[in-house]
Amino acid sequence: MSSSLSSTPRATTWAPQPLRSFLKGGRLVAIVTLLAVAWSAIQAGLFRGDLINVGGWALVRQFFAAALRPELSPDFLLLTLEATLVTFAYAISGLALSLVIGFVGGLLSSEVWWLSRRPHRQSPTATLGSPWLIARSALAVPRAIHEAIWGLFLVRILGLDPLVAILALGLPFGAITAKVFSEILDETPRDALHALLNGGAPPARAMLYGLLPRALPNLTSYSFYRLECAIRSATVLGVIGAGGLGYQILLSLQSLRYQEMWTLMAALLVLSGLTDWLSAHIRHALGAPTRLDVNLGADCAAEAAVRARATSGSRALAVLLAAAAVLTPLSLWYVQPDLGKLFAPRTTMLLGDMLRQMFPPDLSPANVVTLFSLSAQTLAMSVFAIALAGLFGILLAYPAAHPARRARGAMLAYSAVRVFLLFCRAIPAPVWALLILFVMFPGPLPGALAIAVHNLGILGRLIAEAVENADKRPAAALRHAGASSAQAFLYGTLPITLPQSLAYIFYRWEIGMRETVIVGFVGAGGLGRLLTEQLSSFDYGGVTATLIALLILTFIVDLLSTAARRAIR
Amino acid sequence: MFRPSKIGFALALCASAALAACAAPPPAARQAAQPQTFVISAIPDQDPEKLNRLYGKVSDYLKEQLGVQVVYKPVTDYAAVVNAFRTGDVDMVWFGGLTGVQARLQVDGAQAIIQRDIDANFHSVFIANAAAGIQPFDDISGLTALKGRTFTFGSESSTSGRLMPQFFMNKAGVALSDLKGEPGFSGSHDKTIKLVEAGTYEAGVLNEQVWKSRLAAGEVDTNKVIVIWRTPAYYDYHWVVRPDVEQKFGAGFIQRVKQAFLALDAANPAHKEILDLFGAQKFIETKNENYADIEAVARQIGKIK
Amino acid sequence: MSTRAPGIHSAIPTAIFELKGVTVRYGALAALQDVSLRIEAGERVALIGPSGAGKSTLLGVLNGSVAPTGGEVRLLGRDVARLSARALRQVQRQIGTVYQQFNLTPNLSVIHNVNAGHLGRWSLAKAAFSLVIPLERETAARALENVGIADKLYERTSHLSGGQQQRVAIARVLVQDPVAILADEPISSIDPERSREIMTLLRELCDRLNKTLVVSLHALEYAYSHCDRIIGLREGRVLFDLPVGQVTPAMVETLYRIRA
Repeated sequence: MSSSLSSTPRATTWAPQPLRSFLKGGRLVAIVTLLAVAWSAIQAGLFRGDLINVGGWALVRQFFAAALRPELSPDFLLLTLEATLVTFAYAISGLALSLVIGFVGGLLSSEVWWLSRRPHRQSPTATLGSPWLIARSALAVPRAIHEAIWGLFLVRILGLDPLVAILALGLPFGAITAKVFSEILDETPRDALHALLNGGAPPARAMLYGLLPRALPNLTSYSFYRLECAIRSATVLGVIGAGGLGYQILLSLQSLRYQEMWTLMAALLVLSGLTDWLSAHIRHALGAPTRLDVNLGADCAAEAAVRARATSGSRALAVLLAAAAVLTPLSLWYVQPDLGKLFAPRTTMLLGDMLRQMFPPDLSPANVVTLFSLSAQTLAMSVFAIALAGLFGILLAYPAAHPARRARGAMLAYSAVRVFLLFCRAIPAPVWALLILFVMFPGPLPGALAIAVHNLGILGRLIAEAVENADKRPAAALRHAGASSAQAFLYGTLPITLPQSLAYIFYRWEIGMRETVIVGFVGAGGLGRLLTEQLSSFDYGGVTATLIALLILTFIVDLLSTAARRAIR
Repeated sequence: MFRPSKIGFALALCASAALAACAAPPPAARQAAQPQTFVISAIPDQDPEKLNRLYGKVSDYLKEQLGVQVVYKPVTDYAAVVNAFRTGDVDMVWFGGLTGVQARLQVDGAQAIIQRDIDANFHSVFIANAAAGIQPFDDISGLTALKGRTFTFGSESSTSGRLMPQFFMNKAGVALSDLKGEPGFSGSHDKTIKLVEAGTYEAGVLNEQVWKSRLAAGEVDTNKVIVIWRTPAYYDYHWVVRPDVEQKFGAGFIQRVKQAFLALDAANPAHKEILDLFGAQKFIETKNENYADIEAVARQIGKIK
Repeated sequence: MSTRAPGIHSAIPTAIFELKGVTVRYGALAALQDVSLRIEAGERVALIGPSGAGKSTLLGVLNGSVAPTGGEVRLLGRDVARLSARALRQVQRQIGTVYQQFNLTPNLSVIHNVNAGHLGRWSLAKAAFSLVIPLERETAARALENVGIADKLYERTSHLSGGQQQRVAIARVLVQDPVAILADEPISSIDPERSREIMTLLRELCDRLNKTLVVSLHALEYAYSHCDRIIGLREGRVLFDLPVGQVTPAMVETLYRIRA
């Protein structure tokens, strides 16, 4: 991983290395990306007639008017509190499971673990062997499937039980966390570990003293980022029936009770905002200011352990561990999953039953043709959505970065944009889709817009953070040399942050691809809509075929995204 | 960076979460179903609040009549109810015509037992926004007026809000592609009324009984939304019960459930409340064979494979 | 400091390290070529040579972390090619290494880094428990006293100076209590004034505790002043291997001469 994408201050010339390497490596990516966006806009139906349903504006007006009069009756506030706690408890329980899976899976799929088990790890012939490969591949499939789909399947096997939401969140999150944890472990300096291994310490013990303490700040920091994600996902799972804020928002929306909806959305905003804020502060204390390092092995990540301020860092860790020790059992008690169901014979029977119904997949020629055209539509949705989110995300990220000088105008813009971004990302994509469907006909475009709005909130914040962490010296030097702030921005700030911003955008594309399914559930287009029809028709052969198409699509997008991120490095 | 005040804040957060958690007992604990509880559910075709009120009363009535614990379990979508019935999470469900068939196909021995008087002779109504200028008509061929209009169904799996209307539209030669834009799926009958009333869609279709009840309650602005056509009759809603309830609650249990519904009498004020919420005069017996036509239609448009 | 596995102790013949025609190749690059040497118990050996001569690789072979691509390596009399991973670890416990970059865990307290010397003997549970409540504090304190920083027991390691960190690393080796101590450029990352102190400390400890010492060095003066025997390496080959008194300036010049 080149240092060019890290936030380590390094570039000192005004034409920084990142831009040059970006232009060199990125030209192909840039052209391909532009073509893909143009194609996606056409595919998503941007230029087709009958897009806007003018009849819906009245409802939209009503919806926004209701924002001024949220439902504040004591009964409803109590219900809102309860729903908020349910969502929070699901998020914590699911996260706890995912961290366990992530830690074990992360170890087993890391290079350093398997190398540590080899007697001559520094030898020229040392290799990783097949267990590593097996662990890596075993984690790829759960990662590719969206939490909501996990939910729909688990509910068939486990029935209506809170366990479903916890597993639906924990399994895919666990696989994602495992991948990132393994990367963090592999990037952590190994000198101390090797010293201990060379002195004859067994691998697990050597890692405990030589590697894990050093990786811990980064592992913790990433776990907190996952908590933010877990709250958003718990809300989405609520929409598909797990209860909590997402469910209540859906109910209010279905009965067109907007005042209630605004109260619930305010609760979601507070919950999500508090988590984001807490997470940012804790990360800072741990010396890992980057929320999410998508650039595989940026050297800034490896140094977090050294950078962390000793006292605040270890105190923060102690508080976190205590909080986790209290919150996890409390959350589990609150949602009351029936763990016995995991081992019940009925579960095994239903699982077998479901698998029998799912195979063979419906690969009849007619269905395959449908799948191809819907796959193209789904891909277009994801490309168009992320292109839109990325464009506006970059534009909004600069006012959203904390201004260096606390001028009043800048602070005002900063706060306004931050709240707007929080609003965008706190509302789950399916709820955005339902709102957009008031004024647009069902189809891929409203779905793409919903994904775009939700991801705008996430991308804007991630990019703003990159801007905050970027080296400020080039821009300052330009300003001192008499450049206007716009010029200083164009030549000083933008070139440094652009490659990282693009890396984030490509990364979110992978997520956006997975989200196409859940906006499909509420009637937006693509494979998600087909899946909804098939599920409501109990056509499981068809469901399997659609899932296969989705998996292939997801893997392709992941590959392209990784390749693109590598090229612009 | 991490000053004591922030630690204090974090602790306060945990503490308040803990307190709030104690204040509100876990929702699951409140509904914890004992093994010998008769669990009923219903397809979520109307406002969830109305369903809760209605089935709360039904549960109380059945509990009194049958002498066993009865609990209503709300479910969020049509397919989820069918699935819960299949897995045995619920014992008896108020299904629509289509979902009832789908459910029975997945549970051997499940029986359609009871329905309202109106369900044996059920209708859907096509409605339109008054400003759209679609005139009411009597003959099925009048449905061609929907061509080039925006249109919404109810839920994907609704019999009266989707299956039968789509069947009649096909019969009249109106394909979904003839509509303006893609057809909407509002999710429920109530939402269909509201969307058409607001003009989001120029026309829509829903279950006649819901329409009548909302009309009677004065919840519909008839200046804005009008009925344009009433479909021919078909069989719709009915209670479907799992065969294993007789093992759980004793032989003859299904017969006792039937009796409980048949005993509902409009002359009794307590009974009348339930009947009114159902929009019925009385309950009648029904049987699986009544739904052969629905099954055929569903196979034709691909809702049953 | 205690418990040396008796089995290995008795298995030690005279040679601690014995290499016969050892070659290590990384692809096309030969890091060591046909190296044969024998180091007896109680010797103080300096490895010298220009960068890339193979000093670190040789030390890697001596502590068992690098397997030779050719030749025979005997550590404490055991042929490493025939050892299982577990048996190799048993041997490695008897060989302690000090590194140029200290190789400590910077965000752990000193006591944990010192206690890491116990890991070959401690169970996983005991090791984990000790991270919460440090165990065997006295042993650790004594080791720190031996290296002259008794007051730093609970200090965060990254807060110490380079010289102090190297002392922590030596204390870790003392707790490990090996038969031989290897040191890979132990003073290259340390202030010149502190270098002599560290070298003297290493030498004294080895004398007092009766341990064999093999140290690679850039600064020749310490090879002369602190060791008894000097091995000159160049391009992976042993150029000379002589007692200190027999190494001539001409030999050293040949060793470091830039290749024409």
